[in-house]
Amino acid sequence: MKLKNEENRYVYKTQGVCPPEIHFRIREDFLEDVRFVGGGCPGNAQLVSRLVAGQPIDSVLAQLDGITCRNDTSCPDQLSKAIAAARCGNLAPAASFEVFTDSQPRHSIALIGELEGRSHVLSTLIPEMRESGVEAICCVGNLTGTSGNNTDILRHAKKERLLAVQGEQDRQYAFGEESRDLPSLYQKERDYLLRLPQVLSFQIGEKQAMAFFGEYIMQLHGFSDFEPFALEMNMVCNLSCFLQDETVFPALEAMTPQFGAQVVIFSQPQRWGHWELGGVNFISLGKSCEADKLAWGLLQGHGEKIDFQVRRISLP
Amino acid sequence: MAESVKVLPEEIQELIDVREWDLRTREGVQRFRELRAKSLPSIAMDGELIYESLIPGQEELCEEIRRRYQTGS
Repeated sequence: MKLKNEENRYVYKTQGVCPPEIHFRIREDFLEDVRFVGGGCPGNAQLVSRLVAGQPIDSVLAQLDGITCRNDTSCPDQLSKAIAAARCGNLAPAASFEVFTDSQPRHSIALIGELEGRSHVLSTLIPEMRESGVEAICCVGNLTGTSGNNTDILRHAKKERLLAVQGEQDRQYAFGEESRDLPSLYQKERDYLLRLPQVLSFQIGEKQAMAFFGEYIMQLHGFSDFEPFALEMNMVCNLSCFLQDETVFPALEAMTPQFGAQVVIFSQPQRWGHWELGGVNFISLGKSCEADKLAWGLLQGHGEKIDFQVRRISLP
Repeated sequence: MAESVKVLPEEIQELIDVREWDLRTREGVQRFRELRAKSLPSIAMDGELIYESLIPGQEELCEEIRRRYQTGS
């Protein structure tokens, strides 16, 4: 299949090399934005990315094919396989946003809103949340921000195996597009942010839940109104202005039978809230660090019943 | 609601242009908010919200369209 004059973004799952993924774009048969994600030698990987940027894919394929490093393959060799797969149609363009599905049904889950780099907040909240018997901890707001140590919090989040959803600031960091007042990050941490899903899907009790940050997802290249959970995001962000416009609640209720999720969690407004409309629980996560308290949400599901509470603890 | 418009008599169909908006789409939501609609289904005429939550009878709908056509509003 010949690639047409269009820009497509691809995510290739590698085999036999250190980075588990290679991300790249093809625009009019030219290679762009190559990135070896999640491991390997960052320096060499960046060198390869720079050397092939803007090159015609035919010449790149000829240069990279057959280079070996380990397991009879290498990062360049995997890139050549990825390009070949994209070219012949065996690798489909990546979806505009990624949904991670938590395979384990849950009954009790901790929800954290905006952390903005405050590693100490996470350190204080985690024992408190674990003590409450939660089965998983989900962070829906930005992990990174101006007010803290972003490297520490990302390492901490990874170590604690948080179910993290990519915030808008996190995404800017992932692509090296953060504002200048933010501290720099190593490629490894940027890769962690890049691999975070935009949507988390999980089961709580007998209900299907989804969590997302906010409206930036609908501005991503290739976003379709008919992708899974796109309706929930459109209704929350655009129709009801994050549930702040009560006048449209009748319309929102009329749309909920078409939802894929019965629990919809978001965090962009940074304001705690809980609404039940048309059989759907809408939950807005506030800041994790308030004036003199830390806050998190406890979501519990038993059968059809959903319970949500905001838990607050005094700052140590 | 769209069906009630589609089955209007031919002489009425000739007076109107019909556009259906889907609230599942961002474009549909934008139009819904522009019209300051609150519930579904809704019918607007000449950019003005006329019916909300109820499906008007064919006679009532025809009368409203004729009235608007005659007054040119």
